[in-house]
Amino acid sequence: MKKALATGLAVLMGLSVMTAGMTVTASADDSELNIYMWGDYISEDLIADFEAVNGCKINLSYMSDNADAVNKLTAGAGSDYDLIMTCDAYMESLIAGGYLEEIDTSKIPNAEANLNKSYWTEDLRGYCVPYLMNYIYVVYNKDTCPLEEITCYNDLIRPELAGQIGSVDGARNLFPIALVALGYDPNSRDEEEIKEAYEWLTKYNANVLAYGSTEQNMVNGAISVMFTYDGNTAWAMDQMGEDNPLVIAPFTEDPVQLGMDLYVIPKGALHQDLAYKFLDYICDADVMAANLVEFPYSCPNDAAIEAASDDYKNSPAFDFGYKTNIFFQEDVGDALPIYDQYYQMLKVG
Amino acid sequence: MKKKDRSRLPMLAQTGPVSVWMVLFVTLPLLFIIYISFMSRGEFGGVVYEFSTESYRTILDPMYFTVVAKSFRVALTTTLLCLLFGYPLAYYIAKKPPEKASRLIMLLMIPFWTNGMMRLNAWMLFFQMNGPVNYVLTHLHIVEKPVMFLYTDWLVNIGLFTNMLPFAVLPMYSSIEKLQKSLLEASYDLGADRKKTFFRVTLPLTFPGIFSAIILTFIPALGTYTVTDMLGGGKVLYIGNIIKNQFGAIRNWPLGAALSVLLLVITALLIFLYSRFAGIEDLEVV
Repeated sequence: MKKALATGLAVLMGLSVMTAGMTVTASADDSELNIYMWGDYISEDLIADFEAVNGCKINLSYMSDNADAVNKLTAGAGSDYDLIMTCDAYMESLIAGGYLEEIDTSKIPNAEANLNKSYWTEDLRGYCVPYLMNYIYVVYNKDTCPLEEITCYNDLIRPELAGQIGSVDGARNLFPIALVALGYDPNSRDEEEIKEAYEWLTKYNANVLAYGSTEQNMVNGAISVMFTYDGNTAWAMDQMGEDNPLVIAPFTEDPVQLGMDLYVIPKGALHQDLAYKFLDYICDADVMAANLVEFPYSCPNDAAIEAASDDYKNSPAFDFGYKTNIFFQEDVGDALPIYDQYYQMLKVG
Repeated sequence: MKKKDRSRLPMLAQTGPVSVWMVLFVTLPLLFIIYISFMSRGEFGGVVYEFSTESYRTILDPMYFTVVAKSFRVALTTTLLCLLFGYPLAYYIAKKPPEKASRLIMLLMIPFWTNGMMRLNAWMLFFQMNGPVNYVLTHLHIVEKPVMFLYTDWLVNIGLFTNMLPFAVLPMYSSIEKLQKSLLEASYDLGADRKKTFFRVTLPLTFPGIFSAIILTFIPALGTYTVTDMLGGGKVLYIGNIIKNQFGAIRNWPLGAALSVLLLVITALLIFLYSRFAGIEDLEVV
């Protein structure tokens, strides 16, 4: 009995450890491509087709935070990964730190031909290839939201919205809206301004029911307002059916954040030829258009949008009038620890 | 000399592998954590190998005291719940014939055959606004409108309680099972009633199991972060979440390491207290 118990306890502990994390090991075989990116963010059919055409195996590993990718890149990820997904906010530091391979755009003609150059800017072109984009905006349920209308970020701190908001998380997503609401640069490096933004966010935090799972909470009625990604909104609108009561907040002046997820090749990557083939493949109009069916996010690939389904083109989640009134998350350099400190204070309460 | 060596061989063969394992995978990583906690944070969030006590000075901020206090409260509530419900359960199982007891223990562990995240998601589906609990409550007219169970402290406590219960039941079961029936009979013979026997004989003799249960539930509950993240909605941070954030989103590894050392010290203190009051040799793991 005692032995059975001991075995039981050992198994129990072992299971807890095993379920805590999984890693994929890489090898230096030429027929492999190792990619580190967000989970549930690329079509499995696309991956399978690429494997079939090129006779290779793609090993996907997933990150749980943008910081994971930056940690991998700055720790020297070339021996483990051939492509890593990161976002525009970190590009300046990553390029300056010499953590990325330069990209020869002549090897990716599809990207040259199809990507919108206002997103794939001169500064970025030599080091990355944009994949998908996302707006982070405010959406509300017109039937249950206590406010008639939400037209600016300052509406989000009104006491009527107590416990009504579901929000994305992270210092670099939250502080910009506070800074915009206060009339400052969303990428401010000024400690006084960041401190004021923190105070604004304490009021916002009081109205937030939960961070994360915004779209599920909206669909199951736990919240009536969400500050979230356009892709999440598309999902929620789809779940709630044709006459869904979700409204993209008609912002009048405040700009919204546009984030870009992009692929970079880490310094010293082992399978660069295959990485180039993959980048060119996903920039093909039809390939990306098929990917958009499964992942209906905003896309920097003009030709793919042209080729995309009517469902995608007419998706109500992208139907709002201030698409060009945007700001990007920029690298804030030395000010990042200040953001982190105030973010922590915000969460500790 | 040679003879002495030979006599050591069996001992080395028995303890050698596990010692190497423990040094490689427990002692060395722990020492490395302590080492990192005295280093500095790099520009891109990495570790710069320059001596610094900044992380420890940061911990002195009253903000961290609040977090530790809050984490203690949650861990304590979880432990109390586990003892309150776990002891009677362990007692019940221990009084069954061995074969039946084995089956009951198996039942207790079946939920652990699935991934922890699945169990948490199940709780969320169960308690959400349009979930089965609210459906029953509204249809039986017990409440008029669906109740917001998600993201409340009590759901966090329930999540932690269910996650920790087997760790509390197993050592207490082992203690109770070992209890000699003759001692209880002696107690009755000497005139003690059931209540008195329980408090004067059973409880003190099973105390090592109870204390193991406390340690096995309190310490993991203190450092947990997935349960509080998911069921608490990420609004309130506990010490585990803060450590996780330092290694993830915030990328301040030295501070994360220093906070881990703080947790280690708290844990070590608890075990020290136990060894003072109860005698470490009694620590009943199984």
